[in-house]
Amino acid sequence: MIDAEKLEILTESAKYDVSCSSSGSKRVNSAGGLGNASVGGICHSFTPDGRCISLLKILMSNDCIYDCEYCPNRRSADVRRATITPTEICELVIGFYQRNYIEGLFLSSAVFGTPDKTMELLIKTVEMLRREYRFNGYIHLKGIPHADDLLIMKAARLVDRMSFNVELPSEKSLKLLAPQKTKQSLLLPMKNLQNAITYDKVNKVRRKDAVIPAGQTTQMIIGASPETDGQILKLTEALYRNMGLKRVYYSSYIPVVQSNLLPTVGAGLLREHRLYQADWLIRFYGFDVNEIVDEGENLSQEYDPKCAWALRNMHLFPVEVNTAPLATLLRVPGIGAKSAYRIIEARKFGKLEFEHLVKMRVVLKRARHFITCKGKFYGVENINQVKNCLLLGDGGEVTEQLSMFSEKSVALSALTGEV
Amino acid sequence: MIFYICDGTPENFFTAVFDAYNTSECMITSDKELQLSLGCATVSVQTDLKKCERVRRGLKKYDKHAEEDILAALRSFNTNKEQICFLYIKRLLAHKKPIRNAFSLPEVVDLDTILHQITYEIHRFTGFLRFKETANGTFYAPYSPDNDITDLLMPHFAARFRAPFIIHDVKRKIAGLFNGNEWIMTYVGDAEICLSESERAFESLWKKYYKSVNIKERPHEKQMKGYMPVRYWKFLPEKNG
Ligand code: SF4
Repeated sequence: MIDAEKLEILTESAKYDVSCSSSGSKRVNSAGGLGNASVGGICHSFTPDGRCISLLKILMSNDCIYDCEYCPNRRSADVRRATITPTEICELVIGFYQRNYIEGLFLSSAVFGTPDKTMELLIKTVEMLRREYRFNGYIHLKGIPHADDLLIMKAARLVDRMSFNVELPSEKSLKLLAPQKTKQSLLLPMKNLQNAITYDKVNKVRRKDAVIPAGQTTQMIIGASPETDGQILKLTEALYRNMGLKRVYYSSYIPVVQSNLLPTVGAGLLREHRLYQADWLIRFYGFDVNEIVDEGENLSQEYDPKCAWALRNMHLFPVEVNTAPLATLLRVPGIGAKSAYRIIEARKFGKLEFEHLVKMRVVLKRARHFITCKGKFYGVENINQVKNCLLLGDGGEVTEQLSMFSEKSVALSALTGEV
Repeated sequence: MIFYICDGTPENFFTAVFDAYNTSECMITSDKELQLSLGCATVSVQTDLKKCERVRRGLKKYDKHAEEDILAALRSFNTNKEQICFLYIKRLLAHKKPIRNAFSLPEVVDLDTILHQITYEIHRFTGFLRFKETANGTFYAPYSPDNDITDLLMPHFAARFRAPFIIHDVKRKIAGLFNGNEWIMTYVGDAEICLSESERAFESLWKKYYKSVNIKERPHEKQMKGYMPVRYWKFLPEKNG
C-alpha cells in the first residue's frame, strides 16, 4: 500500500488544480465491476477552505523536468519529490471508492522522463483500473503537453473527462512563465479531442466505447500575469465556442513560489468569484462577453456582473413578470434559473402579484428594482438610490473579502458562480 | 379544533385524509409530543384500506405523480408533514388538475419545500455516507439522517457496489442489507462490528488526504459548514481525530 508521506507530497502538489467535479458522465457498472458515474456529480466531503472533495486528486509524480515559474514542483524548486506506481494508485482508488470516500480519480502528473513516458504510465494506470479492477467510477485525466497524439486518443477512450490546462490567459504570459509549454502543445490536443468527440457522435459510437463522455475542461491562473478580466473572458468564450469545452476553471494566484517574474500578493477570492459569475452568464443566460465587460477592462468589484450590466442598461427595465419571456427574466438581477422557471410555471395558473413572488421565495432584494407585477413597481425610481441599495444588499463585500460568502444564498452559489 | 392522530404509516394517513376531508377545523398529525390546548378534541385514526384506496385513486385521477410525492413527503422529519400533505391533497382535489407547478399557492410551496429537503438529503448522503470494511468482507455504513431515507438510498449503492453492504440508520434502528445481488430493509438495533485488517490503514490514509488537499492559505470554514452541516460530521472519519 502507498506510503503516507508520498500521499501527502503528491496531494499537496495536486491541490491547486481547482477542478474536482465528477459530473457529465453516465457510465454504468458492468457485471462483476465496481462503480458507476452519476451525471450530476457527487461531493463526498468539504475541506476547511470550503472546497468540495469529489475525486481523489493526486499526481503520479511531482518530479518535473519542466520549469514553470509559478509551480511549486518546477525543476529548479527545492521540494520533496515522490513518484508512485500504477498499482499503488489503483489500490488507493479502489480502497477509497469502496468506502464511499470518493467518486473516482483525478489523475495528473508532473512531466518526468519525457512527456510520452509520463503519458504512457498514466494510461497504464487507468487501463489497469478499468480492465483489472473493473472500475467503472469516474476518471478525469490531465493531458500531458507535447505527448504523442495517439497516446492522448488512447487515454481518451478509457476515461470520462480530460483536461489540458491553458495555464495563463495569453500566449505572451505562457511564454514568460511556462517556457516549455507552447500554445500549440495545449490547444492542438484540445482540438483533436473535440474532433474525436464529434466523430463518435456522428458515427453513433456506443456510449461505453466513446471518447471522454464528460468532455474537456481547462484551467487558468488569474492574477499572476497582467491580463484584464475582459481578455480572460474573451478567451473563455472562445474556448466554449470553438473547442466545445464543458467548463473553464479560474484559479486565483496564490504566491507560494518566490520569483521576480511574479507578483508577491495573491489575486484574492473576489476576482475569481466575479469571473465565475460572468462565466455563468455566458454559459447559461445567453450573454456575450461584449455585453459584460470591455476587453481592456476588469469586472466591477462592487456589483456582480449581472447587476452591473443591468445598471448600464436601465432603459430595458423594469420588465413585467407576468409577460416577460424566459431569456428576459434571466437577465433580471437576483432572478436565477430556478426562480425564472417558477415564475414561468406559476403564471400559467393566474397573474402574479408581488406577494406571490415573496411566497415563491424569489429573492427580491435586488430584483424588485427591475420588475413590475401587474404593472406595479415596488423598487426605487432613482438610479443612484438603486445603486446604493444594491451595494448594501451585497454586504459590503469589497472590504470584507473573506466573509463574502456569509449569506447562505451566496454561499451555495460560490462554487459555481450562479447569479 | 379536531386533531386526527395517525400512527405514521401511509395507509393510516390516507384514512385520516378521508375522515377529515369534510371537517372544517381540523389537523392531521403523527406528532407524539403534540401539545393540546383547551377545546381541542383528538381522534385516533383506525386504518381502513377501503378509505385509503379511495383517496389514492382520487390523487391518481388528477395527477399521476401526486401519490409518489405524498409518500415521499411523509418521510420528512417535519412534524407538520401530515398537515402539509393534507392541505395539498385538498387543494388538488378541488382544483381537479395537477398543481405541482402552481408555485403561487402556499400548499404547493410547502410540499415542495419538504420534498426538496428530502431529495437534497438523499443526494448529500450519496456522498457523505461512509462504509467501513468488516472482517467478513461486508461493508458497514452507520448514519443518522434527518429524514427516513434509507430505502431510497439503497438503489444508488446497490448499483455501484458488488460486495455485500449494510446501511444502518442508527436513530430509527432500521437498516438496508445488500447481499451482492438484492437488498431488503429490516430492523437493526445495535450492531457489533469487527473491522477488517486494512480498515484502519485506509481510514488514516483518507485523513491524511483530507488534510493535505486543503489550501490553508484560503480558509473558509463557513462555506464548508454550509455545504457539510456539522450534524453530519459524527460519522465522517475525516472530521474525527
Ligand atoms: S509541467 Fe510545469 S506546472 Fe506541470 S508540474 Fe511541471 S513545472 Fe509544474
